[in-house]
Amino acid sequence: MNAVLLGLGLLAGIYAVALLEDRLTRGSFAPAAPLLAGIALLARESVVARKPDRLLFETAPVLLLSAGLLAAAVLPLSPTLVLVDLASGALFVNAALAYVLVALLMAGWGPDGAYAMVAGWRFLGQVIAYSMLIVMPITAVAIRAESLLTTVIVVSQEGWWNIFYQPLGFVLFYIASLAVCFLPPFDRPIAAGELAAGVEAEYTGARLAVLRLGRMVLVVSLAAATTVFYLGGWQGPWLPPWAWGATKVLAVAASMLLAGYYLPRLREEQLLAWCWKLGIPLALLNIFVVGVMVLAGL
Amino acid sequence: MSALQQYLVLFALLIGAIGLTLSLYAFARALGRTREEAGKNVPATSGRLSVEPAWVRYHAHYLGYALLFLAFDMEMAYMYPWAVVFKEEGLVALLDMGVFLAILFLGLLYGWSQGALRRH
Repeated sequence: MNAVLLGLGLLAGIYAVALLEDRLTRGSFAPAAPLLAGIALLARESVVARKPDRLLFETAPVLLLSAGLLAAAVLPLSPTLVLVDLASGALFVNAALAYVLVALLMAGWGPDGAYAMVAGWRFLGQVIAYSMLIVMPITAVAIRAESLLTTVIVVSQEGWWNIFYQPLGFVLFYIASLAVCFLPPFDRPIAAGELAAGVEAEYTGARLAVLRLGRMVLVVSLAAATTVFYLGGWQGPWLPPWAWGATKVLAVAASMLLAGYYLPRLREEQLLAWCWKLGIPLALLNIFVVGVMVLAGL
Repeated sequence: MSALQQYLVLFALLIGAIGLTLSLYAFARALGRTREEAGKNVPATSGRLSVEPAWVRYHAHYLGYALLFLAFDMEMAYMYPWAVVFKEEGLVALLDMGVFLAILFLGLLYGWSQGALRRH
């Protein structure tokens, strides 16, 4: 029962994110557009490049989709609406997101095309930059919750959400989560306007449809992770818990799609420099400050 | 649910994702097949025939970061169990990890001073 409800919720979330992206990037609003675009992609030819590494080429889209789904599986929408309340939940989110890198590198390497490969290596550079900013802020969240259970993490934010308790961690995690789903301004792996769409360059038809679906799932997962770790999950007055959870996830997803308008695009070497020279010292500072606050009984 | 059952559910989700992908491919196939035509499968290179193969040695100019990343990523594996017991261990936990992180942070500063944090 829970699984069905969560599946429907995820589907609705993906559809809403697709609509939002349409609205925010193209300014058009057609409720059936994502569905029609999906069917159109399925009806198109799905060409395989000349001499591909077939295994990597075929695995990449399904691996990206799986990574997003597995990350979403351990995140609760309400106290009871969670597919798997894993004892190592917060760590599992990390582990699942690590496969985004593997999937994109496979998609870059697999088709044996120059543009795709450059974009794949680009994403590796991006991962080395953002990865610590996903892992370290979650540690500080776990310190406060004294648990890696995602439901306990939400309960630990009773009265004082983590966005106020550890604003520094929130900012770092939020920026890093944009980079995980390679949304603008970190969309250089799919290279809008250069490299012929980067890692997506050699994917057409049904395979591209799965790749794009995977990315949508990823956006919803990261929005859910931000909600659970920093925005008090299902907590809120008047409305039932699941409604609060869903509202927050959609709001975060919308803000993630909008962020590209206001942030400059960075080359991966610039992103690396910012993340390692400023981001990681700040993340360590965040862990220390939260540690002291927890010991002080705040 | 026991831990084993939980992982079984996650495994089932993985199988489900593969099943969904395969059924989408089957649906696409039912709508029509890809026609084999000469030159259609050449990787994109903006109008010119691509030089093959593209699998050449790629200069990863972020190698300095990559080496530091290894050290930090290993360290994070210890941070999670530490974070869970942090509150009950109290000040001892803070000092233990503080010393560990300080050494690691000095490593970062040393790497920075030696020019690891730049494009190579």
